[in-house]
Amino acid sequence: MTTTLKNLSRRHFLRYAGGMTALGSAAPLALNLGLMGHAAAQSANDYKALVCVFLNGGNDAFNTVLATDAASWSAYTSTRQEGSQSVALKYPGTPADPSAPAGTAARWGGALPITPLNAQGRQFALHPALAAARRLFNVDKRMSIIANVGPLMRPTSKADLTNPSHALPPKLRSHNDQQSVWQAMAAEGAASGWGGRMGDLLASSNGQGMFTAVTTAGRSLWASGAAVHPIAVSSAGALSLGTDDDGSLYGSAELGAALKRISASTRGSNRMETDYTQVVQRAVDSEAALRTMLPPASDARWAGTGTAGGGQSLNYISPNTQDSLLNPLAQQLQTVARVIAAANGGGMAVRRQVFFVELKGFDTHDNQTVDHAELLAQLAHGMLYFDSTLGTMGLQDNISLFTASEFGRTFTQNADGTDHGWGGHQFVLGSALAGGDIYGRFPTLGVKNAGNNRFDSSADLLDNGVLLPALAVDQMAASLGRWMGLSNGQLADLLPSFANFGMRYPQPVA
Amino acid sequence: MLLTSLSALMAACGGGQAEPQQALEPAQSLAGGNATQKVVTSSTAGTDAAQASSSNDWDVAGTMTASGAYRTLTQASFGPTPATVARVLALGRGGWLTEQMALPFAAPLAQTVDALYEARLATNPGATPNRRDLLNAFWREALTSESQLRWRVAYALSQIFVVSADASGAFSDPVGYADYFDMVARNAFGNYRQLLEAVALHPAMGRYLTHLGNMPADLATGRVPDENFAREVMQLFSIGLVQLNNDGSVKLGGNGQALPTYGNEDIEGLSRVFTGWSWDCQAGRSDSCYRTKSLPDRYAGKRPMVAYARFHSTAEKRFLGVTIPAQVADPAASLKIALDTLAAHPNVGPFISRQLIQRMVTSNPSPAYVASVAAAFADNGNGVRGDLKAVVRAVLAHVEARESGTGDGKVREPVLRLAALARAFPISSISGEYRFPYTDIASRDLGQSPLRAPSVFNYFRPGFMHTGGALAASGLVAPEMQISDETSVATYVRFMRALVDSSGFGEWNDQLKRPDIGLDFNASLALAPLAESLVADLHERLLGADYPALKTQTVNAIQSIVVPVLNGTGSNQNAIDKAKRDRVRAAILLTVSSPEFIVQR
Repeated sequence: MTTTLKNLSRRHFLRYAGGMTALGSAAPLALNLGLMGHAAAQSANDYKALVCVFLNGGNDAFNTVLATDAASWSAYTSTRQEGSQSVALKYPGTPADPSAPAGTAARWGGALPITPLNAQGRQFALHPALAAARRLFNVDKRMSIIANVGPLMRPTSKADLTNPSHALPPKLRSHNDQQSVWQAMAAEGAASGWGGRMGDLLASSNGQGMFTAVTTAGRSLWASGAAVHPIAVSSAGALSLGTDDDGSLYGSAELGAALKRISASTRGSNRMETDYTQVVQRAVDSEAALRTMLPPASDARWAGTGTAGGGQSLNYISPNTQDSLLNPLAQQLQTVARVIAAANGGGMAVRRQVFFVELKGFDTHDNQTVDHAELLAQLAHGMLYFDSTLGTMGLQDNISLFTASEFGRTFTQNADGTDHGWGGHQFVLGSALAGGDIYGRFPTLGVKNAGNNRFDSSADLLDNGVLLPALAVDQMAASLGRWMGLSNGQLADLLPSFANFGMRYPQPVA
Repeated sequence: MLLTSLSALMAACGGGQAEPQQALEPAQSLAGGNATQKVVTSSTAGTDAAQASSSNDWDVAGTMTASGAYRTLTQASFGPTPATVARVLALGRGGWLTEQMALPFAAPLAQTVDALYEARLATNPGATPNRRDLLNAFWREALTSESQLRWRVAYALSQIFVVSADASGAFSDPVGYADYFDMVARNAFGNYRQLLEAVALHPAMGRYLTHLGNMPADLATGRVPDENFAREVMQLFSIGLVQLNNDGSVKLGGNGQALPTYGNEDIEGLSRVFTGWSWDCQAGRSDSCYRTKSLPDRYAGKRPMVAYARFHSTAEKRFLGVTIPAQVADPAASLKIALDTLAAHPNVGPFISRQLIQRMVTSNPSPAYVASVAAAFADNGNGVRGDLKAVVRAVLAHVEARESGTGDGKVREPVLRLAALARAFPISSISGEYRFPYTDIASRDLGQSPLRAPSVFNYFRPGFMHTGGALAASGLVAPEMQISDETSVATYVRFMRALVDSSGFGEWNDQLKRPDIGLDFNASLALAPLAESLVADLHERLLGADYPALKTQTVNAIQSIVVPVLNGTGSNQNAIDKAKRDRVRAAILLTVSSPEFIVQR
């Protein structure tokens, strides 16, 4: 198997879509889904879910996936020079030094080599805290890497950046805006995200449309569609609106009903009230459904005790202190697994779902060595926990998870941290892409100019070694959307810049 | 039990009757205002009143209503009380602002946190300062301080100049972090330029946005200065990302796109300014003092950062059209140019004004409203730019602040809802410390604590769009909706249920079997047999205006709890008491769960 950007031309698409196009663009979604079922024919179960793990703060790609061939490593060590405060990691194979201070690269030993199916003539490794991810990549072949992806309006070279009329995404390097651009292809103020809009297109196959999109991280732009509202579900499960178990309040059923009525409706036309009470109404409705459908956290399939959840605990081992600590990401993914279980035999009539979970703290301007390792350990452990749990549930082929982050970070370091960048590498777990491979061209690393912090040595590195993305978020989203069963036409509507990239997207080629 | 001065005050004025009989006196004339403004009255003036935002004469005798006073106190305090409503009615709104702005300030947060630490040290030499004391101290001021306007403005500013007490630095130095919020409160009626400098040099900010101990570039190793503070001081604390007109609208370029205020080169230039600043160590400015991330001595977190010329970038610094030439390192000179440049930028007025309006009054002010506040920012009437007194006055004086029905208002954030409820009743704290644990876990409590934002972007963004509703369809933002989801709206009601059931909130006192902070519902209990009177009183306390439909629904609902008539033997007294208690609890819960309470208009 080799990896290419498969060009699904319009003609190819028409051939592939066959008779469906005869029905015109108003073809019922059910037909569409049937057609797309063709692509996932190996799966007996028609259920599919896409899980976005947002790495809030901007994950440092250079220390997540490392190129370790001689030329790349030379560029790495000359840019991230070792010193008392350096963020530099050690070369693969460097033995761990138990006498080194805790929370240092020396203490962990070298980066962990990985063996992609198509190594692009280079060598790669993962951060030492990503041991669980390496297993998913190398051994289980469940995880893949999408290289150097980021917001783009059209293919962009370094030369294009000097052309004022070349279209660029708005407000690059701004946290809130790039979170919005990643999730909704527009700066802060966007009304819907591509996960939710996928849900809009797929919700017709869902009996209980309310649970088309679910978030365990509060409000989610990514999972908000035009019609689809993501429902926030916490590890606490169904939460009543302050009424007792039987729906009464102070012994009065009428009071219990009044509390719901008063809090979930308006007696006027104020739009703040209208929108707030709609959230309350969804809270009431979702609570009623979850109360009967959501299995408990203690269920052996995901409880994280003993051999349940594939033996993966909800706790991870801190790479800095060696303590066993509750993993906030695994806890969110446990809630996702419980909702997935509700949708697979638990009475929740949905066949397509999108989930949003979040891990915060990636804005490593300082103390990066310690903080980044802690977060990556949580990420890797969370993914392994989730994959193992899905295995126990028999649903590994039905769920794909991907990471996203508002930007990568600078290749150069500011003493003990790094600053805001642009492109970065992301992980995909599950069957949307064949595991154990790197998709997209891995960037060429180079050394900085002698007299300034530009990198004329690499076409991929901007000032301070910021990655110029080679792959657009739209293209990555297209891979995931295709797997979910969207047509190319739907993807083109969903992803505004997709057409500017020839509708090419990362896809394994048999 | 410690009764606060506030609860005493409330008892003195009748424990909740908000209609003072002698209130409608002429407004006091205000010092320091613009005498040339023409006289208008608040309730009858139309557009002219909107323009006359710096007028002294908002509230001429006979034009002020209790609900008007209530509205101002909702915007300008942590919640109206019978006493403060009476005071505003007595002085007029402008007079009340003047009185509030003149109250002395004693920087109480750091003092409280440090005193409690000192007390623990007396019995335990290994004691450490407790970061919970910081939140407790804040709640005590919010709930009981006479300086309501100062703390309310400081709270709003703390959501713009964000330092989170959830940051690791606050764990080790709650005194220093408390001092940061004291500093914001101290500058709440000061000048923006001074506030900006105090923010830039406070060690809590230096740790939070990582410019404390920032190293200059080293071309040999490729090391660059940390850009964190340079970026966020522009994006969040001063000018924002895009060029603004005075009314807050975005300036568009020829291609129809917003014009950026700065590029990455400006950030790189400004990042050089913020090198060479670190702790003012008692032991002197050593290299190790410069570099340490730990608190070097007990009160170092309260002393502004100081310059270390040897760690200041000597390179040319270009930003926002200004060039500081290559220099013999002079950090103070670089800083002055940078902060002067930022504070003088035309964006600051509309950028900061709009956010203060959003934090205090309404999510979607009209352009005219923003323009009137920005004008006060640009010139306080005496030629002074950045006078926050004038800005606050302009925020509260505008017709969109004073009169209802001019817009959709704002969703009140959970912290302010709780504060408003707590202040509506006589309040006390068993410990006197107002012990109130964190409430930021959405699945368990309020989904928000004061001063503990998840990042420098606060709990919610000024531009947050609530997707898929009536607001977004009209292009209206709703910042507080960013923390309103299906989980947090339910846990809010659950939190309030627990509060009414235990007549209080905060740390559980195991000895007395009740929470540390107690609310006195006795006045309501007395009214409980008469459902209409009970609800009318609660609406006056909690809503400040008449909502007939809500009142009818609430009265009907609580009447499902029947208060028995006392029988001859008195044997049903317990049942009567229980029914009265349940009615009061239900009525309060229904009121604070209603959108009429949750949305501030």
